[in-house]
Amino acid sequence: MPALIEARDLTKKYGKHTALDRANFTIESGRIVGLIGPNGAGKTSALRAILGLSPYQGHLRVLDREPFTERARLMQDACFIADVAVLPSWLRVDHAIDFVAGIHPRFRRDRAMALLAKTQIGGRRRMRELSKGMKTQVHLALTMAIDARLFVLDEPTLGLDILARRAFYDALVNDYMDETRTILLTTHQVEEVENLLTDVIFIDKGRIVLDSSLEDIATRYAAVAVTADQLGAARDQKPFYERRTLGKTILYFERPDFDKLAVFGEVLTPSVSDLFVAKLS
Amino acid sequence: MKTFSWLIRREFWENRAIWMVPVVIAAALVLAALFGKVELTALTSPDQSRVVGGMVLSAFSVTFFLIMSLYATWYLVDCLYADRKDRSILFWKSLPISDTATVLAKLFTGLVAIPLVYFLAADVSTVLIAFIISVRARSTFGSSLWQPDLWLQLQALWVYLIVTTAVWYLPFAGYCMAISAWARRAVMLWTILPPLALFLLERWFFGTHRVGSILWDRAVDYLPLAFHSSSDHAAWMTTVVDDNSFTAPSSVWRLIDPVGFVSNPATWIGVVVGIAFVVVAIQLRLRRTEM
Repeated sequence: MPALIEARDLTKKYGKHTALDRANFTIESGRIVGLIGPNGAGKTSALRAILGLSPYQGHLRVLDREPFTERARLMQDACFIADVAVLPSWLRVDHAIDFVAGIHPRFRRDRAMALLAKTQIGGRRRMRELSKGMKTQVHLALTMAIDARLFVLDEPTLGLDILARRAFYDALVNDYMDETRTILLTTHQVEEVENLLTDVIFIDKGRIVLDSSLEDIATRYAAVAVTADQLGAARDQKPFYERRTLGKTILYFERPDFDKLAVFGEVLTPSVSDLFVAKLS
Repeated sequence: MKTFSWLIRREFWENRAIWMVPVVIAAALVLAALFGKVELTALTSPDQSRVVGGMVLSAFSVTFFLIMSLYATWYLVDCLYADRKDRSILFWKSLPISDTATVLAKLFTGLVAIPLVYFLAADVSTVLIAFIISVRARSTFGSSLWQPDLWLQLQALWVYLIVTTAVWYLPFAGYCMAISAWARRAVMLWTILPPLALFLLERWFFGTHRVGSILWDRAVDYLPLAFHSSSDHAAWMTTVVDDNSFTAPSSVWRLIDPVGFVSNPATWIGVVVGIAFVVVAIQLRLRRTEM
């Protein structure tokens, strides 16, 4: 079975600015992938290309389709929420459901109604009357009721408070995710999603810095906290990044000799956010 | 086809003015007929009755049609711009609907669906008004509005108008949509600016008026092309009421000129230009997702 998303030399230029520079990555089905990078790194450009919203150079297949020329057909099997506040203000909740039910062959109205019933949102209300958190719930109900193989989320929790953000991700993992689906999301708040991801792709200045599953990260990367007198010996193991904390220095290694590191103290797997900082500094 | 009807429905949800404006006009006209002053002289001959009745009824239709034209133009200028401005295009594009279907649905709404709504409003209100006036002024003028034949003619006139204006003004509509899909701000200004700039540049540098006259001809040539408009044509007749002479069409069937309209090359040149603009609008819609 081919990969769900396959990008080779994916490039996107805006005038002289290169937003994506020959990016290569693949995403397999059944994963929850975080596309992580600082602002302006090219996350949104990558998603726009994957969703067929903008033309690009290079090779890109999504669900075995060419996204830009086949967007409408792609959207039968893929869906996305591009930041939260994009439901039009004049749209009524019941009309939104009628519309998607009317045009989407894989939309399950009963599922959308069940998801909405959990909220306090009345069907005849317009989006402009709803809070940002409520709008997100409506959008999520609309999207999660679609039997899609790929679900893309671009900064889905931007502007939401901590409670709404937590509820959002809980709903995503508990009510939606199963082995037939794949989720690709971008965020710059890595700490919030690192526990639910199975894979991460780091992107910086339009280039892919890391494309790895979390299992591979555990075998490939290591972090050790060392005291000042061990620092010289530890540095001989060629860390790629150092960070000083209270009284100790944390050293980060790629493909280290784990036995040799063990003499300095406990060898840990760096968290996604630590690895992100280490990789991009 | 099912998707297309949902797309049209969606336009009616978004643009409630599509039906609210004609309903308000219709209500105002009916109220005026109910409580306004009816001051009429007696019409004696059947000819007088025909001409005056026809004129009154078509005056209502013309009112509706003119307001509709203004609204439909505004609609076409705004329709591919509004959802980019509020970014809701990102929601619409997450659904399995092609950009071609979206653009064509909006074009259809502007050129056919909106005129049909006004047609319906004009129809309902003229029936009511004809009834009200014929009751209020039954002795004189009333029966002139209450003629099934006239009524049928008015229906034909509306259908003819909707079809022929949609064809004739397709280049304007396509142009408005292309600008609507392209402009990043001030879409109304951008719609007016390019033709105005072309017109002025041509005048300054060449001292000619070709751009201006092409646009002007497109705007005003519709009537002489689609109708037998010269009043000495057999389709027109003159009646004298109270020393005032009125010249009016004797019958819609003789007034409309579908053969002249269809056989004129200008009609088909316009269609080709219009399709080209619509294709541009679709291409822009594909590429320009945000401002």
